[in-house]
Amino acid sequence: MLIGWRHILGLVLAGALGAFLIAWSGIIGVGASTGHWKATDWFLHWVMRSSVRTAAIGTPVPAFTEGMLPMAAGHFEGGCAICHGSPARPRPDSVRNMLPAPPDLKDKIAGWSDAELFQIVQHGVRFTGMPAWPAAGREDEAWAMVAFLRRYPALDAEAYRSLAGLAETRPAGTGDAIGTCNGCHAPERLDAQSLIPDLSGQSATYLEQALLAYAEGKRASGIMAVATERLDDEERRTLARHFAAQPARLRQSTSGEDAARGETIALNGDPARRIPACLSCHDKAGANPAFPRLSGQPAAYLESQLKLFTGKGRGGGPFRDVMAKAVANLEAEDMAPLAAYFAGRKPAD
Amino acid sequence: MPARPCGPYRPSGTTARSTAIHRRALPLLLIPLSGCSGIQSALDPAGDEAAAIYTLFLVMVAGGALIWLAVVGLLLHAARRREAPWSEKTAGRLIAWGGVAFPVAVLLALLAYAVWLMPAIRPWLAHSAPAARPIEVTGEQFWWRIRYPAAEGMPAFETANELRLPVGARAVFALKAQDVIHSFWIPALGGKMDMIPGRTNTLSLLPTRAGVFRAPCAEFCGASHTLMAFSVVVMEPEDYAAWRRAQAGGNPATGSEGERLFAGHGCAGCHGIRGLTETASLGPDLTFFGQRQTVGAGTLANTAENVARFIRNPDKVKPGAKMPAFDMLPDGDIAAMADYLVGLK
Repeated sequence: MLIGWRHILGLVLAGALGAFLIAWSGIIGVGASTGHWKATDWFLHWVMRSSVRTAAIGTPVPAFTEGMLPMAAGHFEGGCAICHGSPARPRPDSVRNMLPAPPDLKDKIAGWSDAELFQIVQHGVRFTGMPAWPAAGREDEAWAMVAFLRRYPALDAEAYRSLAGLAETRPAGTGDAIGTCNGCHAPERLDAQSLIPDLSGQSATYLEQALLAYAEGKRASGIMAVATERLDDEERRTLARHFAAQPARLRQSTSGEDAARGETIALNGDPARRIPACLSCHDKAGANPAFPRLSGQPAAYLESQLKLFTGKGRGGGPFRDVMAKAVANLEAEDMAPLAAYFAGRKPAD
Repeated sequence: MPARPCGPYRPSGTTARSTAIHRRALPLLLIPLSGCSGIQSALDPAGDEAAAIYTLFLVMVAGGALIWLAVVGLLLHAARRREAPWSEKTAGRLIAWGGVAFPVAVLLALLAYAVWLMPAIRPWLAHSAPAARPIEVTGEQFWWRIRYPAAEGMPAFETANELRLPVGARAVFALKAQDVIHSFWIPALGGKMDMIPGRTNTLSLLPTRAGVFRAPCAEFCGASHTLMAFSVVVMEPEDYAAWRRAQAGGNPATGSEGERLFAGHGCAGCHGIRGLTETASLGPDLTFFGQRQTVGAGTLANTAENVARFIRNPDKVKPGAKMPAFDMLPDGDIAAMADYLVGLK
C-alpha cells in the first residue's frame, strides 16, 4: 500500500485531536510548585534569549547620562523591586515560588546588551510575569531604566538608596504621599542634568492638572503612572497645593552663548519660522495658572519635554495641544539653548 | 414621417401656453443678473482697472451678440426655400468675405483694442516707477497680512484681512505669499494677480467710488481656500486720512477683563495689538479689530458670538486654520475676550 495524501492528512488530524484530548483530560500540570523539567526550562529560556536577541537587532542606543539614573532608580524601587529585590531589600519570599522566579538582577545584567535590555524593559516577556513598560511611546523612560540597570550590579545599599531617594527624610506631620514625591522631586536632589522637574513654587492648577492627566492616561509616563496610580481627586489637590506653596529656587546660573540664543527665542520667538515667544505664555505676570513655570527647572528636564512635545509623545493637561502647536516648528538644536536659558532664569516670586 | 416644412419649428397648439410660460419665467431669468452687482462683482466696477475690464467685457458681449445674430440670420435665410440657388461664384465670394475677410478684420480689431487697453488694465506698464511706496499684502493659509508703508511722517503699520484705500488715489501693492500660491483679486477694483512664495508681484489699482467690497483668494490654496477673503473699504480721502492717523496709536491698554485674559491666555504670543506691550506677528494683527467687517478673513460676520465661536474651535469654523482650539477655557473667559476684541474700535 502506498502512503497517499489522505493518510498524511488523517495522521495530522488524529494528532491534533489527540493533543486536544490530552489537554482536555487535565493530566498536564500547570502548578508552579514542581517547576519545569530541565529540558523544558532550557527550551523556554533558549526561545526567550533568541527572541530578545532578534528583536534587539538594529535598535539604536542613545547616550546615557547621569540624569537618567535617579528617575529610573526611584521607579525601580517602586515598580521593580517588589519582584526583583534591590540592594536595599531582598526579594520577598512570595516571589521565589513564581515560575519562573524573578531573578536577582545583579548577576543577570552583564549577560545582555543595552538594546536587549531595552527590548525586555519596553516590551516585557510573555509567560513570565514580566510586564511591558506601563506607557507606550515613552521609550526615553525605558532607556533611562537601561542606563540604571547598567549601573545596577555595582551599587551597594547606600549608593542605591541615594540614587532612589530612599534616604530622604520625610517632613514631619505630612502625609506619606508628600514624602514619596520628594523621594525623587526633592529640590536639593536636582541639578541641571536631572530629568525630574522641580515642583516647588509651581502653580497648583498646573500640578493638579498634570496629576490628573497622568491618572487619565493623557500624559504618558510609565514612571508617573505607577507613582500616582493610587491618588484620588482630594489627594491630588492636597499635593498640588503643598508643592505650590514651597518657595521656588534658582538652581544655577547658566550663562554663555547657548542660553543667549535661547533667550532670543524665549523673548521674541522666531517669526520667520513661525515660533511664538515662550514668555508670552510662561512665567508671565497674570498668565493663566495652567501654564507651568519654567524658570529654574532642570535643563535636561526642559529639553526632554520639548523633545516629547515635538515628537507628539507628550500629552498633558487641557492646554497640551496649544503647546504642541507652539513648538511644532522648533528644531532639535533650539531645545538645548532654550532649556539652558530657562534653567538659569530667576523664578518670579 | 412626413418632411417638415422649412421655417421656425413650432409644435402645434403650444403657442398660447409658451407665452404664458415666458411671462412667468422672465423674473426667474433675471435672478442671475442680480449677481452682476454687489460687493464681489467685476460687472459693477468701482475702480479704473475694473472699469477698463468692464468696458472690454461689454464690447466683447455686444460684438459677440451682433455676430451671433448675423450668423443666425444667415442660417435662417439659407434655410428658406428658394427657386434659384446661388451661383458658385456668388457663394465663393460670400465665403471669401464672410468666412475669411470678416473674421480676420474683427479679430485684428479686437486684438488692437485689447492691446490698447493693456496699460489701463495692468498699470504697472505705465507706472513702473510709482512715487507711492507699495502696500505689502502677503497671503498666508488662510488669511492676509497687510503692511502699510510709512507715509507723511506717520510710521508703517501692520493689519490683516481688511484693506482701506482712499478714493481717487492710485494704490500700489507688493504681493507676496508665505506658504503656497494665493491670488489677489478685488473684482470691483481690478486684478487679479497671483501671490507666489519667494516672489514679489506688483499691482496698482485706482479706486473711483467709495464703498465696501469683498476680495476672495483666487487660487486654490488648501482646505479653507473658499473661506479666505478680505474686505476692501474705499473711503473718502479725509476719512481715510483720519483712519490712517489713528493707526500708529493703536488700542492702548484699558485694563478691561477681556484684555487681561487676552494677555493671560497667551493670545498675544501670536496676535499683535498695537498699544499693548507685546507685539507678536505670527497670526493676524488684531489692532482695531472691532472696525473690521468679518471674523476669520471673510468667514463670519464680525459679532462677539462669532468671535467666541472662532476662539473656541478655529478648525471647525475654518478647517486647517493654524490657531489652536481654546475650547478648554471657561465660556465666561471666551465671551469676555470676544467682547474685548469686538470693542477694539
